[in-house]
Amino acid sequence: MNTRRSSFVICLILIALVLTGCVGARMGVSWPAVGLIDYNGEQNIALAYNNNVAILSPVNGAPLRLINPLNGRAILDSENNPRNWVLQGSANNGAQFYALPIVLDEETVLVAANSGNLLQVDSVLLEATRSIQLEDKIVANVLVVDDILYVPYQNGGLSARSMEDYREIWRFHTEEGVWTQPLLVGEMLIVASIDHHVYALDRSSGQLIWSLNLGGSVASTPLLANDRLYVGSFNKMFFELSLDGRILSTYSTQNWVWGSPAIDERGVVYVADLSGYVHALDSERNLQEIWSSQIAERGIRSGPVVYQDRVIVASRDGKVYWLDRRDGALINAREIDNRPELLGDMLMLEPSESLDIDAPLLIVTSVDEGRLLIAFELDGRQTWVYPR
Amino acid sequence: MWDLILNPFVTILAWLYAALNQDIVLAIVVLTVIIRFLTYPLLAKQQESSRKMQQIQPQLKKLQEKYKNDKEKLSQAQMKLYKENKVNPVGGCFPMVIQFPILIGLYQAIFFALAATPFQLVDLSERLLIPGLDSLIPLQRMWTPIPQLAGLLPELDLTLAPTENPHYSLILPLLVLVTTWAQQKLTMATTGQKTAKKDDDDDDDGKPAGGQAQMMKSMTTIMPIMFGFFSLSFSVGLSVYFVASNLIGIIQYSPQGRNVLDKLFGKKQTDEAPVEIVLEPDEPVKKPRKRRKKKPRKK
Repeated sequence: MNTRRSSFVICLILIALVLTGCVGARMGVSWPAVGLIDYNGEQNIALAYNNNVAILSPVNGAPLRLINPLNGRAILDSENNPRNWVLQGSANNGAQFYALPIVLDEETVLVAANSGNLLQVDSVLLEATRSIQLEDKIVANVLVVDDILYVPYQNGGLSARSMEDYREIWRFHTEEGVWTQPLLVGEMLIVASIDHHVYALDRSSGQLIWSLNLGGSVASTPLLANDRLYVGSFNKMFFELSLDGRILSTYSTQNWVWGSPAIDERGVVYVADLSGYVHALDSERNLQEIWSSQIAERGIRSGPVVYQDRVIVASRDGKVYWLDRRDGALINAREIDNRPELLGDMLMLEPSESLDIDAPLLIVTSVDEGRLLIAFELDGRQTWVYPR
Repeated sequence: MWDLILNPFVTILAWLYAALNQDIVLAIVVLTVIIRFLTYPLLAKQQESSRKMQQIQPQLKKLQEKYKNDKEKLSQAQMKLYKENKVNPVGGCFPMVIQFPILIGLYQAIFFALAATPFQLVDLSERLLIPGLDSLIPLQRMWTPIPQLAGLLPELDLTLAPTENPHYSLILPLLVLVTTWAQQKLTMATTGQKTAKKDDDDDDDGKPAGGQAQMMKSMTTIMPIMFGFFSLSFSVGLSVYFVASNLIGIIQYSPQGRNVLDKLFGKKQTDEAPVEIVLEPDEPVKKPRKRRKKKPRKK
């Protein structure tokens, strides 16, 4: 009897192991999107991740209060607490968000959802007033130029839609997804795709001007500097491209390059890769290496930030690193509590009246729901965390 | 730690994908065949152990009846029976415990290799151990099951569940259910029924007696339904793996398949009758004597 019972228990444990194995393999879609938006005449931080889209104050990271425009008073919820500017996907058919909201006017915000629709939201009452069904899911920011929305799709392609009635003006197909915001260069849209190509499109017609196969997936928006494009790919290469679609120079990295590069006033391009390396390359000398060193234990997904004499990177190892941009020497490193993966892009805020901050602020994004945004001063001191 | 198992699988799968003309379904099937083939000695050992346990079931039953009031004697008699028949009561578990991480690793490798979202793809960057595979990313996830009927049957997205794919993909959970059931049935036949039929003392229907038979029966019902149900919400790529794995299992458990595999692995087929132990009705069971300290004699 004991043998039977123990074999039954073993069977149950094995089934549980299978289930654990299955569940363990499940993971989220993407990481938080963070950026600055003009809202109610001020610059604020916008955040989109999983179930929430929030607009936060740069001063302390607190969500903005919903204000009644008629009397200027805070709008209260059913328990008489002030309502915060946090749009929840659970209240909108379980939508998930990985793209920043777009402010249409003082009372309307447009939010692209991963469920494949655009939600037009009344930003006073924070209620979706309209839902526009799209062809596909969205994981990247929508570009807005001259009342036209350029919408990149997770499973492939890009479409131009009128902001007036959301009708499709044109659509360009790619074999795989477009996971990054397109870049506007004059009248040309530069689109990077997971299908290994960088495409240049006529923004008014969607006609292909040129395309270039970079031999690996391209997941970041190219950097435009000195009439050249700088972009990395998953085949461990970093490229300098001309605006007419030629490869001018290449540089071999240690692993995939996912984040967009940064450039300083001397023309030094800083690139990070998914092996935790940071590379400083001379854009004036065909991407000649100035320095290259492994900074982090794990990969660096987001692009580096260059500020004053420093290069700042955030890694999957849960740490933020401040480097001397001249030689890559480590100046400072800060470990985030519980070391969550720092996958989202960083945001550098300079002191300004519209931001209402008097010292530079570095915003780092993690995938930990308990600390999605962490704000640091330039010396590495943590100032606030969202959510608190 | 888990990555030590998972990453080689992901790498081999990507390598097979490159070698097999970028056909991910073929790569999944070939990798499943390789893994099931390599783990066959473990499976055979597990089967052998189960068969031996089944063979001695009637004697175990007799012992249980005989010593129902003396657990210590029962335990000693059982140990003797195991020893005489060279059976390890938990011997069947060890090969299974080794096989399980391998099968889960293979299952997860398919999930990770078929990365379809930014989060999955960034994870994949740390899993490819051979240089040169990066240019294959992302692996082709669209699949036409019957290319000749491409007009009638639209492509399936291997990363999506059948409910999010064209309707005909719902046949996959059904195939998972049927093949899992068939494999379970063959497993029972291999380890249970065949031996039990030889034994007159067992149940009349020739199946293993009591709770164990009941347990195996419920496993044969529950497992296929469970896996069929999972396949409704798991990606189509994983259903392909389940079906391939089950079909290989069916071949492995079938008598012809076992003969071929046993020959390949140089294993002899043993179908010897179990050794019976003879216990006298009043045989005293020796207790280990405790040494007592000699007390000094009183003078």
